Amino acid sequence: MLDGLISQLYANALDQLASAETLDQVEAVRVEALGRKGKLAEISKEFGKLAPEERARIGKLLNTVKAELESKIETRKASLEAAALDARLDAEWVDLTTPAPGPRPGSLHPVTQVQQEVEDLFVSMGFTVLDGPEVETEYYNFDALNIPADHPARDMQDTFWLEDRRLLRTHTSPVQVRGLEKLGPPLKMIAPGRVFRNEEVDPSHEHTFYQLEGMMVDHDVSVAHMIYFMKTLLSAIFHREVTVRLRPGFFPFVEPGFELDIRCLICNGEGCPVCKQSGWVELMPCGLVHPAVLRYCGADPEVWNGFAFGLGLTRLAMMRYGIDDIRLFSSGDLRFLTQF
Amino acid sequence: MKFSYNWLRELVDGLETPPKDLARLITIKTAECEGVERVGAALESASEARIVSVEALGSGHNRKTVVETAKYGTRTVVCGAPNCRPGVRSIYLPVGRKTIEGIESDGMLASAAELGISRDHTGIVELDEPFALAPDHIIEVDNKSLTHRPDLWGHYGMAREVAAILGKTLRDPVKARALGGAPPLRVTIEDYALCPRYSALLFENVTIRPSPLWLQYRLEAIGLNPISNIVDVTNYVMAEITQPMHAFDADKLRGGEIIVRLAREGEQLNALNGERYNLDPSNLVIADPVGAVALAGVIGGAESAISDTTTRIVLESANFNASSIRKTSSRMRLRTDASMRFEKAQDPVNTVRGLERALELLEEVSPGIRLVGGLADAFRPPPAPAPIELPLDWLDRKLGRAVPAADVRRILESLQFRVEATAPRIFSVSVPSWRATKDISIKDDLLEEVGRMVGYDSITPVAPLAPAKVPPGNPERAFHHHVREMAAAQGFTEVYNYSFVSEEMAAAFELDPAMHIRVANPIARDQGLLRASLLPGIWKNVGDNARHLDSFRLFEIGREIHKDGEAPHFAAAIYAKDNGVPGLLELKRLAECLLPGVTVRPAQAQGYEHPQRAADVHHGGTRIGRLFEFHPRMVEAGRAAVLDLDLILVEKLQRGTVRYQPVRRFPTSAFDLSIVAPKRALIGEVHAAFPRPPELLSIEFLREFTFSDRRRSLSYRITLGASDHTLSSDEVAAIRMAIIDAMRSAGYELKL
Ligand SMILES: [Zn+2]
Repeated sequence: MLDGLISQLYANALDQLASAETLDQVEAVRVEALGRKGKLAEISKEFGKLAPEERARIGKLLNTVKAELESKIETRKASLEAAALDARLDAEWVDLTTPAPGPRPGSLHPVTQVQQEVEDLFVSMGFTVLDGPEVETEYYNFDALNIPADHPARDMQDTFWLEDRRLLRTHTSPVQVRGLEKLGPPLKMIAPGRVFRNEEVDPSHEHTFYQLEGMMVDHDVSVAHMIYFMKTLLSAIFHREVTVRLRPGFFPFVEPGFELDIRCLICNGEGCPVCKQSGWVELMPCGLVHPAVLRYCGADPEVWNGFAFGLGLTRLAMMRYGIDDIRLFSSGDLRFLTQF
Repeated sequence: MKFSYNWLRELVDGLETPPKDLARLITIKTAECEGVERVGAALESASEARIVSVEALGSGHNRKTVVETAKYGTRTVVCGAPNCRPGVRSIYLPVGRKTIEGIESDGMLASAAELGISRDHTGIVELDEPFALAPDHIIEVDNKSLTHRPDLWGHYGMAREVAAILGKTLRDPVKARALGGAPPLRVTIEDYALCPRYSALLFENVTIRPSPLWLQYRLEAIGLNPISNIVDVTNYVMAEITQPMHAFDADKLRGGEIIVRLAREGEQLNALNGERYNLDPSNLVIADPVGAVALAGVIGGAESAISDTTTRIVLESANFNASSIRKTSSRMRLRTDASMRFEKAQDPVNTVRGLERALELLEEVSPGIRLVGGLADAFRPPPAPAPIELPLDWLDRKLGRAVPAADVRRILESLQFRVEATAPRIFSVSVPSWRATKDISIKDDLLEEVGRMVGYDSITPVAPLAPAKVPPGNPERAFHHHVREMAAAQGFTEVYNYSFVSEEMAAAFELDPAMHIRVANPIARDQGLLRASLLPGIWKNVGDNARHLDSFRLFEIGREIHKDGEAPHFAAAIYAKDNGVPGLLELKRLAECLLPGVTVRPAQAQGYEHPQRAADVHHGGTRIGRLFEFHPRMVEAGRAAVLDLDLILVEKLQRGTVRYQPVRRFPTSAFDLSIVAPKRALIGEVHAAFPRPPELLSIEFLREFTFSDRRRSLSYRITLGASDHTLSSDEVAAIRMAIIDAMRSAGYELKL
């Protein structure tokens, strides 16, 4: 008789479980069948009245049914929970192609970018980066660089003179002198910065532009060292092997002085409009530091010597980005500046 | 400077190198050539021709002309030149056939302009000399690359370089002449420092007429305008051996004496160019006993100039101090072919050579000309420079390659240095006079001579041997880069502004123009001051960009320039078409990112600032900058918030090395407090009024609410904790009460 009750209970519970749609309904099924006052508990009350051999058999059956029901209930619960989670997450659909709020990243000035790249290169080669004032004295801008009083570079028309007889530096070269005075030889230094020339502004001329001065002073620095250095440097700047050529150039603070040309990167030396069909592009003035400059800095030219060079950062930025109007750099025009 | 290839060929024996190749060699070894241009191309096919017959045509203007040509036989051409008449020897060009007034014209008779010989196009060429002109090439050299080379402002100097480059022989065009007679005029130099030498010759029986075609062609080809035989000879000598010369009409000079002196105050000169110049004692003049007749080394005077009726000339060949000429020429804004050369420091030895060369040419172009007496020459030779000692080992070391002693000697001697071996591996080198005026004085200068001639391309690049050493850092610059990166990452774009501002702009930003450094020669009136603030530039950027964009962020790192030094500043702006508040708070956050711990204290607004939106930015007790909104009347349409920080202070106040604090092991407790503060009370002040018991970990501002009477309710979350135990609820309650009491006694009402 008990067998019948047990199998009926089992069958009923399974039916109810199958139709349960919520976790609460599943719990009701569990309480009705397996709870402390549930049907299985009721049946167990009859248990004492059974013969001992029957008791063992029914006990085993009860345990089996109980375990079976518990497992079925858990399974049902888990599947309802999973479905509930799925439903909740499904409602949380989001369009990840929505533009993110907040400002877009800004950008650094193209000259800053070129300058930082060149600075990093030099620092990796053991150079120190120095700054000098934009308002200079005649002494540092001219005298100490061996530029005599009647040199054309001192003309009113090239230099911005200030009312206190100082001037706006016309090149970054004064920092050579300041650097050597301050740090003494041996010295490997660069000095990037803003320079000024009293020139009418047009697409290829600016009164304000950017240069990078470099100098290495040590014992027995030769032209061969300078060429090696310039080649290495320029290959790194242009991200490719460059061919350089030196030809005579006159700058009072170097002797010998050179104009350094690189083989045209556009036509590889075949000749094109960029290199005016010559195959070469004039890139930087350089030379061995003039003994008079070393003496001005307190270094004995019989003991120390070195090379110096000037790199036009504005010009380099124009070459790199194909910018054909120098005035854009100081325009403050964000339609231009945000391109970099 | 233009060089004629044919001229160079006259001066360098066996010069065969084609013009373009020669230009490349000159560029690499001497000075930058800007290009090679062919001139006189028509001369290639030109033929000497004699006019046989001339027959008028209907128009009366054109004439049917039969010519006998040297190259093409008999030809018939139609010619309209006024000087087309039988018997004239002219030049025929085979330019093709065309029919004019019914006559088939085969070729043409050419004017000098059509041939490129001169600018004369008034009629056909009339030859009175054998015709031997050929096309030429002009090599143009960049003047800037010749500033240190006085000798290269003439063909002979360049020919010397070419001969040295190619290993050819240089031919001197100057033949020594006997000039020993008694000087026919007296020369007095008042200051030999300004005029080291003045040489002159007097000629009579002079005929003024056009130069022969070959001479006109030479001058025309290098851009000098042929004028008349005498003037052309002076220009020719200048273009050949770099010696500027001047011819006076001897009959217009008064008193038989030439005086080289400084101009007197108030003295004037009518110059050859038609201008009248006011002179002062900084100008050197050539004068006769009555007055100035020329501006020395720059330009001649009109009154003493030669004319068609001149029969006697004084030919001046002098040497002047370079910087004196330069000063006069730049002050008068008058650069002439002569002044351009003198200001490079010419060789005083050259003056007599110039006269010798001119004498030979004058005999050709003015037949019958006679020298009167001998050379007048006032000269105080400058001390001869000592020979330069050139150690060959030093030379090799500096060049980075070995140059055999014999090569060093050959190179220097080909450039006409005198070389003596005074000790083993040491040369004693004497500098020729034309290189000694300013170009070459030390061994490093000789290094360049040897280096450029052996060719820098013969030097193998070598890595410098330098000890591996960490270079000294530049923390200030590194910090600026850090600030830049941070601003850019937060949406700000970097601008560069000029260092110049106008007085009006300085005044608009309440900066006293008198505290600015003033530019003595500004490029424009509105760029006369050096910026003492980045704000005018930023304001301009805002206005300019607002025309194209609805919102933007920008910044600049640049130097304020003050009379006592330069201060790097960071200035940033946010422009938007909103109520301006988000921009101000975003800039405040940027300031906090750049320097954690900054506080903002409302301050009296300047005229260009929003009266209710201006504050000083502080860190500890130091004022480091300003946060404000531009006064709305200064910005069209939108609002612009600005942050301006002194980067030296911001860098100095950066956190030093951090000391680690143990991580808290016991849980913290938090509670919220709402404080009711009066109208326009400052959150920053309320925050500062909180007591700071040791258990207090943080005070966080949550939100605010403004009542209708404009009192402000400010909510805070207070977090407490202890490092050695968990605070009990009694402890928390006690601290909370203590805080409430303290805030009440500070005058705030608490909403509990
Ligand atoms: Zn090219």
